[in-house]
This record gives sequence, C-alpha cells and structure tokens, in this order.
Amino acid sequence: MYSILVDLSLVLVERPSSGHDTAVEPTLDSSPASAALKACGPSPTAEQLHRSWPRVGVMQPIVPGVWRAHQLDREKRSSVTATGFATLDTELPGGGWPHRVLTELLLPHLGLGELRLLVPALARIAGTGADDMPAVGRSVMLFDPPAALCGWALAQLGVDAQQMLVVYGRDGARAAAHRRHLLPSADLLWALEQALKSGHVGAVLAWLPARVKADALRRLQLAAQAQDGPVFLFRDVDARVKPSAAPLRLLLQGAGVDRLSVRVLKRRGPPLQRPLLLALPPVLSERLRARADAMAATSARSSVAVS
Amino acid sequence: MLWIAVHLPQLSLESFAATLDDATRARPLALIDAHRITQVDARAAAAGVRSGAKRATALALAADLVLGQADALRDALALQTVGHAALAFTPMVCIESTDSAGTSTPVVLLEVQSSLRCFGGLHALIEGLHHALQPLQHVCRIATAPTALGAALLARWRDDLVHGAHSTDLAALRRLLDGAPVWLLGPGREHWEALQGMGLRQLSDLRHLPRAGLARRFGTALLADLDRARGDAPDPREPIELPPRFEQRIELFTRADTAEQMMAGARVLIERLLAWARARHARVAAFTLHMHHEARRQRAVDASELTIGLAEPSADAAHLQSLLAERLARTPLAAPALELSLRCDRWVQAAAPNAELFPTRGSEREGLTRLIERLQARLGADGVQRLALQDDHRPERATAWRPADAALLPEGGAMPASEAAMRLTAREPAPALSPRIAAAPQRPLWLLNEPQPLPERASRPWLDGVPLQLLAGPERIESGWWDGALAARDYFIARADDGALVWVFRARLPLTATDGTGWFLQGRFA
Repeated sequence: MYSILVDLSLVLVERPSSGHDTAVEPTLDSSPASAALKACGPSPTAEQLHRSWPRVGVMQPIVPGVWRAHQLDREKRSSVTATGFATLDTELPGGGWPHRVLTELLLPHLGLGELRLLVPALARIAGTGADDMPAVGRSVMLFDPPAALCGWALAQLGVDAQQMLVVYGRDGARAAAHRRHLLPSADLLWALEQALKSGHVGAVLAWLPARVKADALRRLQLAAQAQDGPVFLFRDVDARVKPSAAPLRLLLQGAGVDRLSVRVLKRRGPPLQRPLLLALPPVLSERLRARADAMAATSARSSVAVS
Repeated sequence: MLWIAVHLPQLSLESFAATLDDATRARPLALIDAHRITQVDARAAAAGVRSGAKRATALALAADLVLGQADALRDALALQTVGHAALAFTPMVCIESTDSAGTSTPVVLLEVQSSLRCFGGLHALIEGLHHALQPLQHVCRIATAPTALGAALLARWRDDLVHGAHSTDLAALRRLLDGAPVWLLGPGREHWEALQGMGLRQLSDLRHLPRAGLARRFGTALLADLDRARGDAPDPREPIELPPRFEQRIELFTRADTAEQMMAGARVLIERLLAWARARHARVAAFTLHMHHEARRQRAVDASELTIGLAEPSADAAHLQSLLAERLARTPLAAPALELSLRCDRWVQAAAPNAELFPTRGSEREGLTRLIERLQARLGADGVQRLALQDDHRPERATAWRPADAALLPEGGAMPASEAAMRLTAREPAPALSPRIAAAPQRPLWLLNEPQPLPERASRPWLDGVPLQLLAGPERIESGWWDGALAARDYFIARADDGALVWVFRARLPLTATDGTGWFLQGRFA
C-alpha cells in the first residue's frame, strides 16, 4: 500500500509541456497481431513518462513510496502485462494491464472489439509461442461469457485455445446466453472469488450482469490481490455512473471498422481528457476497410441531409 | 527392542464425542452407566461433576451436561483408528484394550527399534506420532521401555508427566518400575487389599519376597506379569493387521438434518480413512459416503450415497473435507440421517509428489487441478468446460466444449519472476497451426449458440433496426454430408452501426431454413 503524502509546499504547476497539446487529431498506431507483440518492447522509463507531464518546481525526483497526485502511478515491471498497443501503454499506470487489481471494461453492446483489445495480452500469458515470444502457458478462465468462443479464431490470433477454461453458473450455458438475470448469481461470485484467491490462474475475464453490489466488487478487489495476473470485468455502460472499487476503468466505444475508441474513466493518476483511438488486429484488409469507411461516411451524410 | 506405549485414558468419552455435532461438543460431556457417572471431561470436571456421582447431582451441578453411554464397539473402532495411525511408523503395532485383570485401559503398543533410523531418532519419531494422532483428537500419554508390558505400565502410571516416562535400557526400566505401585499390575489390583495389609505397596517390595511364597498366595499370574514387565520372561505379541478395504460406520447421537451436522460426523470418518490410507502409504482417489435414514415403511430408499472422485489422489484432510462439504451443500437430502458410513472405492499406492517452496510448473498445475475440482464440486461437472479444436468447417462444430477433466490438464507454464527466468523456462512452442485453420479466412471470436434469424428489407439484412453493409464474402461452406447435418451457407462479413463487424450467412440448405428470409447472424468479431 502506498502512503500518499501530497507535498503542498512544492506545488508550482507549470504549463503542460508541448507533447500532448499539439496533437489535435488522435494519432493512429497500427499494430497487427504479430507486429504488436514485437512492438511491446520495454515499458517506458520514468524519464519518458515524466517528460510529458507538468513539472512541479525543481524538486522532481521520485521518492520511493511517495506518490504525488499529478504523477502516473508506477508499478514494478513484473506486475503488469503489456497491452500490445503503445498509445494505451503510455496512458496506463505501470505501462500495461495491472496485476492483482480489477480492471473494468464498460461496453455499450457485445462485439465491439473488446476481445481483440485483450488478445495481445492474452497471447503473452497463454500464447502458442509465436515468433520470439516465450510461451508462458498459463491458463485463462472466463466466467459466464455471453456467447461461445471460437477456437479457430483464437488459434489464428496466437492464443492457445487449450488453455481456455470457461465457467458457467449452475444454470449452464443457456442462461448465460440469454442473460435473463439482472443480479449476479451467488455461484458465479463464489467461483470468481475462489479462482482469484487460488492464484494459479494466469488471467481472469468475467462478465457481470447489470446490478452488482458495491460490496461484492470490494470483495472481488480484495480477492484479486492474490492473483498474479490481470483481472478483467466486463460491464454495461450504465455502470459508468456507479462507483466501483476497481482502480482502472475503461469505456470502450466503436469507432469504425477495426478501430476502438478507449476512454480512461478512472486510473491511478491524473485524469485523461481525450479518448484514445486504437487499431485492433484487423479482420478486413486495408482496401475493404477504406471502402467501409467511405460507405459509412456517405450514409452518414445522406442521413444528415434527409433529417 | 524398543516399545512405545500410547495410553488413551479418555477413549470412551472421546469416541462418544465423535458422534456429536460441533455445537453439542462444546458443552460438558459425561458418560453414565446405571445412573452413575463413570467418566467426565475437563469442562464437566471444572463444573464439579465427579465420577461416581448420581445423575441428578451431576445435572444439578452442570445444567447443560450431555450424558451418553459407553459403547464397546464404538470404542474398539476408535482404538483401531489409533492403531492404523501408528502403523504408518512401524509394522509391529499391538492393541491392548484391557489389561490382564480385565479393566479397560486402552493402550496401543509400537515396536520401533527398526524404525528409529528412518524417522531420525526417538524424539523425532515421538513428535511425528503426536502430530499424526492430533487430528484424531485423543488425549494420549506416551511412554517408552525395552519391554512391551513395561512400556504399557509406565504409560498407565505416569499420567502426570507431560512428556511421559521414557527408559531406553533395561536397567533404567527396572529402576522406574521399582517405584511403581502394585495396583498397576492386573492381578495386583485383585489382591490389593491383601497386599496393602501386608505392607506391600511397590513392585520393589514384591521383588524382595520369595517367589514360591508369592506364587502360592496370590497365583502365578502376578509373578508372570512382573517378570514380563522387567524383561526376565519373553513376551511375544501379535501385531494387528490392516484391513484390505476401508469401510466404517458411525452412529450419530442426534439425527442429522442439515449438511453442517452431517459434515461433523463425516469429518471423523474422513480422519479415520486417512489414518488407514497413511498406514498403507497410499492416497485416496475416490470415496463414497452413505447416509442411512430412519427405517420407515413408506420410504423406498434406505440410504443415499454421495460419491466423490478426485482427479489427483490426495491424502489431505482439508481438501477432502472441502470437496465433501461442497457436494453435500448441493445435494438435496431425502430424509434425516441417523448413521453415516464411509467406503474407500479407489486408492493409489504411490508416494505424494514433493511440495515446492517456489511456485513451479508442477505446483501450479496441481493448484489448478484442485481449483477445478472445487468448482466442479459446487457447479456440477458441466460448470467448468474446456475448448477442443475440431477439424470441421461448420462453425458450430469446429469448436467442441467438453467438461474439463482436471486430470488431463495440458502442461502449464511456470510463473517466472523475471524476463530472464521466463526465457529459461519457456517450453517449446506448440506445433504449428493446422494448415486448414491457418489458411481459413478470419473467423469471429464470438459465436452464437444458435444462429439468430434476421429480417430483410431492400435485399439487405437488418440487425437491431440498422441495415448491415456486406463487406466481404461470400465464403461458401458446404459441409456435413456424412452425418446428416448438411449445411450449405454463404458467409459474409458485414458492418453494423458504429463499425462493429458481424458474421452473417445466407442459408442455401437445409431447405427449411429458407422459410424465412434465410439471413442469419452467426457471430460477432469481438
């Protein structure tokens, strides 16, 4: 646990440095699957991170154990998994998906590209060992997924399908697919807590229904401290206004074919104003994507003209 | 020869306590026989109840006293369990439930001369014995001597010593026995008054008298016992035999209605099972719990059974208890149970794998196995499923979901502490993707279990009130003529609102599918 000492006597806030202001358009960072894994590379060093943030007077160097509220929280290198997207890595504390805490991903609907966002990290954890990535081979558990995973697609993206384990509640896969329940079943929360506490699972992905109690989330957050890997919770967009114990919350929205817009709602560090635009591992070729964007633009213009 | 004697002064009380549930066990307990108290436990003694008191007196002193009756069969089973626990240390274990006069003072004797080196000395062995007997929750007094009867006498006599009386050679034993009272020997108890009248209180006094006179007055049994205890006469003993199968019953004091009460009785049975398994140097792979209900004429079933199978055989009491507790909580009981019996179906005669200090590939795999077992115990075997790739073009058959068999986990990875360690422990990459999978066009990550029919307007499929733009396709998949589920479909990748990609198809066969529009949603590119 960090003891937060906010050193008020030293606060001389300067103008933010130029790095972020000039970029009006969000820059694209195209990273197809295999290249993304290579591009992970070393996490940004402290120097690089702090060059882009407002400087606080002259007393700059980091004192271990003291976190100033404007600094992006830094965690040890071994306790994050690189996301595979360089722009996202720079915005997340520690430079990747954090271990031992919950990460909430809020989606308006299913099938945005949320799994392709996680695939580079999952390939690192449960991968088949493509290219020069060492295959760690830990298992990934999915709790109550809304539809069935396709093994071929996983294999094509470099994730070892044999390491996937899916856990359904007592009602089975049918109920999960129809999603009739508004409250999470006690079985599901129990199973999630057991898996987190055991600490033998590589990564955990859980789909929680709309209404989850705050103390249930707090319990999961405590249980996640034993889990040496990322924990992802998928929830509906309506949960945006509800408080949550998860230290990292992202809002995902579609932004075109093979694109995802990520807005960081909550993180250990200063808030991020603008959304990030990420290029997901592509499904369509460049030509088709351009054609799709063009068709989308014309239909948008025609609907505006009509209305 | 070195004998260890384990004296269990409160065996009857403890075997009675084993039939109670946790709430009742916390109250003062006493055994009663013909309206007189025979044995009391520590709580009842603190309240003032003494053995020999009348029932009414005892209940007046301790209002919540639980009274039970001694049962020889129950005591014999508990004593047998202690014998099994001792068998893990040496093959020569004898049980003496009564002494030569017939009074019941149960003692378990172990001959450990040949096991000393294996266990690292007498002290280590005795500590191991304490540790093995501790889950059985018996009060033990341990003593050692070169002769069997000598050790039994010392264990019965010196209740006050914390670590017991130990004598490793014959001279020390004889010195100790010289100070022992005469009533320790069985025949000495019968003739106690006569001996006391003559002023013979200790065994040394007996030794100084002429043997012929003693034999004539008090019988040869007294002399024979004395000789055997001092090591002057041989004392051959028969070791107990380990039964080839484990099946034991326990009768509960009150009928068990809830899973909690059943678990209290089942815990005792599991401890006994593990004592038997350890004596065999084996681990338990499957066991069955039978719950016997009250006999009623209308009821069809007399007993319900619950079988627990383990993917990885284990001799860990906590793990077996947690598995049984989860299954019991999930099973509806037909009727309250009066008796529980446990039977071991399968065991594995092998040493347990070494436990590692730092998490490694093997220990993580074992941990994952246990986690899957626990989850399946509560959620059912279908609750945890694993993916298996199939060589089939039909998307709904390409991925098979099977209940995870915890025993067949693939080789998991280590938990590397650093990048360097990760490179060192990396296994070889899995064999290259099957060429069919690699060559197939991109498949969606989410597949719906049943294809969702889509309405069609202006020759375009609509999803959620938005027309879909067909971008890529058609990809024709015709497959499945060999098992009757022939599917001939044209698959398209389409763009929905806000850029999400979906996988839709137009069905050509089977013909019933074209009753509607023929457009179906099969998956989403997540």
